[in-house]
Amino acid sequence: MDVDTAKYITFIVTKDCQLACKYCYLVGKNSKERMSWEVAKQAVDYILAHESDMPEEAVVWDFIGGEPFLEIDLIDKVCDYIKIEMYRRNHHWFNSYRFSFSTNGINYHTEKVQQFIKKNSTHLSIGITIDGTQRKHDLNRIWKTPEMERGIMPKPEEERGSYADVVKNIPLWLEQFPDDSTKVTISSADIPYICESVLHLYGLGIHEVNINVVFEDVWKEGDDSLFQEQLMQLADAIIDGGYYRDYACSFFAEHIGKPMDIETENQNWCGAGMMLAVDAAGNFYPCTRFAAYSLRSKKPIIIGNVHDGINKNLLRPFLTLDRFTQSPRKCIECEVASGCAWCQGENYDAAHTETIYERSTAICLMHKARVRANNYYWNKLYRKLELEGLREDYDENHRKSSQTPC
Amino acid sequence: MLTYLIILLDDTSVSFCHADNPRCERRLIPLDVLRQGIRFAMMENLTIQFVYPDYPLPADYASVIESIDHAKIKPTVEAADVWVTDKPFEGEVDVPVVLRITRQELFAQTEEISNLIGHAPRLNIVITDIGAFTDDDFERYRALLADISARVETLTKEGRMPWVSLVTDRMALTKMNNCGAGDSSITLAPNGRFYVCPAFYYEAPEDSIGDLEAGIDIRNRQLYKLEYAPLCRRCDAYQCRRCIWLNRKLTREVNTPSHEQCVVAHLERNASRTLLANIRKANPNFLAETKIEEIDYLDPFEMKREK
Repeated sequence: MDVDTAKYITFIVTKDCQLACKYCYLVGKNSKERMSWEVAKQAVDYILAHESDMPEEAVVWDFIGGEPFLEIDLIDKVCDYIKIEMYRRNHHWFNSYRFSFSTNGINYHTEKVQQFIKKNSTHLSIGITIDGTQRKHDLNRIWKTPEMERGIMPKPEEERGSYADVVKNIPLWLEQFPDDSTKVTISSADIPYICESVLHLYGLGIHEVNINVVFEDVWKEGDDSLFQEQLMQLADAIIDGGYYRDYACSFFAEHIGKPMDIETENQNWCGAGMMLAVDAAGNFYPCTRFAAYSLRSKKPIIIGNVHDGINKNLLRPFLTLDRFTQSPRKCIECEVASGCAWCQGENYDAAHTETIYERSTAICLMHKARVRANNYYWNKLYRKLELEGLREDYDENHRKSSQTPC
Repeated sequence: MLTYLIILLDDTSVSFCHADNPRCERRLIPLDVLRQGIRFAMMENLTIQFVYPDYPLPADYASVIESIDHAKIKPTVEAADVWVTDKPFEGEVDVPVVLRITRQELFAQTEEISNLIGHAPRLNIVITDIGAFTDDDFERYRALLADISARVETLTKEGRMPWVSLVTDRMALTKMNNCGAGDSSITLAPNGRFYVCPAFYYEAPEDSIGDLEAGIDIRNRQLYKLEYAPLCRRCDAYQCRRCIWLNRKLTREVNTPSHEQCVVAHLERNASRTLLANIRKANPNFLAETKIEEIDYLDPFEMKREK
């Protein structure tokens, strides 16, 4: 199935997680809001009954948390129900669907999760998040403690990283999903470990590393220089080490860093509004980032619920968003605009008014640093390939990043 | 460009637009605030529209109000520049009339309203519950516009062309002419604070855009401008009110109209197109600069989605 033309439907099955990652944008995680079977069923019924409102050729049923595999019993029941109902209704998504998971990997080996994988293996994608080397991973991805739920944070020496609990499941995951990728998130404190982390993940056998800087305004003075330095080290390591053919890292993409035409390249980056998220209360959102647990300073944007359906007027701003209308002049006139991403939820959260039409530019310097390192990477790689007479072979056969804007 | 300052003389000042004024407790604008508001308008080169309550103002207000060129929007016809009413009137009126009415009242009184046409220099019909339009209502509205157009056509052929906002405005316009709240107009409330429009004051008085001392501070001001409204900037339903308050109420965004507002505006646009064509049968040069193309949609959102 073509995921580029698929409808993404996200079930926020729990707002709980075993971990308390320091960069996590989910500021309202808790162990109380777990989706019930009744709500999940009502959501599926509503979605499948409104086939004409969702004409996309395929569907990705996405399960997130918190940590989705904490609710494997519910997920298993929901997925069975989805399959039966798509068949019973002769829905156009039958046999054109995928169940998708982004997990911290901790419960991956458990019997229930493994049974679920076996049952759904032909329609399944699972990404395990491992952030790189142990020191990089454990810097942010730490175990939650009971005290944290009461707002008491552990001292740095008391923090317990989760690397060892995740990495043990990587071989099994790669055996079952050899083509799947991992997702790495970079915040300010992670920058010194980018190069070693990507190489470490390659060393674990992960061939595709999708890596992004956080959209939040967390960056300190000088971070962009450090970031550029790390990416150039990584560029050298990938090229000199010969990884460029069989491995991919989303930081390096040929078509980023160019000016963009205001007429022909005016699309929105983010897919909020084209996707649909539902939470434990049965509320619908244009994306999970608009649920209350994702927002620091704004009210959630609820576009309906499983009982009353979707208020289409509330979707109109999302579906008419374009680059020009939400971007400040410096972005419109930017010489290296292409590939500079944004998250509609973060834009909303950071905006000066209750609007999704104000683009946050917190990553501006980081994007420019990425562009410089990216230019270096491609100039170096193409020169090497041309000298070796392998440019055409590379163009035809190298592994490309599968990452698409969310 | 900011051009108009609307000054609400009282908390109970008459509503002249889509939003009802829920306030029933009188709160007259303090005289010093009124003076400062006028001074502000003079310095900013703004044209003032005073909006009156339904009771006589104290005598000392008149001299202050008359100290500057202005328009009076009143709930009574006497001494008004614009008269706002919620019922069809009788007889002849020599000032423009704003008739605020619900869609059901409009459908129920089609004949009475048609009969008003030509008895005031201008009739602006403001529907106060656009957000509640259903598909059936759209069809009834289409029929109502046809009735009104027939009356306008008859009078025009008699050489007495009336102005009825719903069907004649589009014929006379060659570019967008919308509400302009937050862009070409702002409102000064009796509390001395500025608002995007009166409706924003009625709903959330704490949500002001400045005051007479600090000046105006409209955050994300560009979003009130036409070029920052993706659905509207290429639209040719030029007569559409593009009500900023309704936009925010129904879609959460000041720059995005609801489905109902778009369809209502396009039904009016299409009625204007038919009316113009009919008038031109007898008078080919009538409003010669106006072009209204045939289109196959009522909501530009559908067109944008298809692209």
